[in-house]
Amino acid sequence: MSAAIRFDHTHVVYPNGVRGLDDFDLEIEAGQMVVVVGLSGAGKSTMLRAINGLVTVTDGDVIVGGTGVRAAQGSGLRQLRAKVGMIFQDFRLVRRLSVLDNVLIGRLAQVPTWRSVIKAWPKEDVDIAFDALERVGLMDRAYTKASQLSGGQQQRVGIARALAQQPSVILADEPVASLDPVTSKQVMDDLQRINRDLGITTLINLHFLDLAKQYAERIVGLRQGKLVFDGAGDAVTEDDFNQIYGRAMTADDVLEAHVAL
Amino acid sequence: MSTAATMRPAATQVSGTTKGSGAGRPEPPDRLAGRVGMGVIFAGLVGITLWAGKLVGFSWGELLGNLDKVDRLVDDSFPPEWAFWPRLVDPLLETIQIAVLGTAGGCLIALPVALLAARTVAPRPWIYRVSRMGMNLLRTMPDLFWAMLFASAVRFGPFAGVLALIAFTVAVISKLLSESAEAIDLSVLEAVRASGGGWIETVRFAVWPQIIPHFVSYTFYAFELNIRASTVLGLVGAGGIGMVLRTQLSVFEYDRVILIVLVSLAVVLVIERISEMARRRLV
Repeated sequence: MSAAIRFDHTHVVYPNGVRGLDDFDLEIEAGQMVVVVGLSGAGKSTMLRAINGLVTVTDGDVIVGGTGVRAAQGSGLRQLRAKVGMIFQDFRLVRRLSVLDNVLIGRLAQVPTWRSVIKAWPKEDVDIAFDALERVGLMDRAYTKASQLSGGQQQRVGIARALAQQPSVILADEPVASLDPVTSKQVMDDLQRINRDLGITTLINLHFLDLAKQYAERIVGLRQGKLVFDGAGDAVTEDDFNQIYGRAMTADDVLEAHVAL
Repeated sequence: MSTAATMRPAATQVSGTTKGSGAGRPEPPDRLAGRVGMGVIFAGLVGITLWAGKLVGFSWGELLGNLDKVDRLVDDSFPPEWAFWPRLVDPLLETIQIAVLGTAGGCLIALPVALLAARTVAPRPWIYRVSRMGMNLLRTMPDLFWAMLFASAVRFGPFAGVLALIAFTVAVISKLLSESAEAIDLSVLEAVRASGGGWIETVRFAVWPQIIPHFVSYTFYAFELNIRASTVLGLVGAGGIGMVLRTQLSVFEYDRVILIVLVSLAVVLVIERISEMARRRLV
């Protein structure tokens, strides 16, 4: 087993008939930082969610750390998800809970249900949560309500929650799309540092092409659920982007342009 | 970054030649059909009202001709027999206890029922359908019906009242709470699932924090409903002040009846107001 994640003729067809992934093949090596680009609707989110079974693979399979997603059910699926941390565009924190409780959600798959329900967290899980918070520089905010943090801080709590899972894979679905340019860079730096320090395989959906080029070890381009580009981050050209997008680039596709505006 | 400046698209020119001339403005839609429809509906409502009045034997003559009887009732009732008051204290306390127990028991049961009857939270579609059906059945029955049912099932007395209010509370609160649960932000549920949380964990960490304020508010609301309901439950034999009311009515002691009515009214108003204030403060 060499690849951390392997898409094997993966098809995802939604119940309403929309095609998310269409005979998709891809291998991602352990520890790689991969940025996924493509227009909205190209299948980027579907691709990430097929990895942890949040969307149902209708044909073919996705193999994550040797386990097929398609056959995973019940506790098997929960254990697979526990190894895959996820970060969302809109953070998806429980706003009324403290920062620490939000990070401890990342421990749910390991903590017995009766303990988590009454929030009697085992000490080692609290330690793991604090370590994760320290890594994103928010340890001092542990007992603050999540809703009181800024957008950038909330996204870092989202990263800490994923880290608390002690995952082998991190999926980030448009992690900076709700953030301003300066905060975006900080969050991308965090993700890069975590990828390098901990060797966690990282997949990031982005629609800003300059950010993609800057941070990606490898860029994967999607169009209509199919792989249309696969190459090293620094080798990608404007022509490649035009091909992925099916049109010429505009200012909207570049983060720097938003800074300038 | 150099590409940014060069690739900024040229602003497209908006042509504004017909501005202000009114050309191309759409005609207002024809509303005649709508007005005729409203007239028909209004006439229908008037017709149904008249028909219903005839059916129940409504007559102005009987209503106005019996005003002197009302006069006699008022004469019999006033002044209230104030000396009867000490015998009301215990039944009143019992009424309040019935309401408290009925509310607490009802709300505790309503919580899981509501979660299973919320389409977005229920673990399986069939569980949602079964729970929703049960909930709707429960809600078709009024509080007095429950009181009569339990009074004959477990004998007359306050325990029957508590059971009746529990059933009534579950019916009302599970419906309200399931609707609140369906209106929560679902995106957080996906986050908990993605972390490997199961159904119980998802409810505990993504659903529960979002519905607590509603649950607290509904509990107070149920208490207000139940305080009012528990005063009349005794009329059908389910304990509390209503049982005293029934006894005094049956022996035509109207000066005592009016005292009971006034005292109950005062207690209900005071408790409702306190509960309302607490609800506002907490939520």
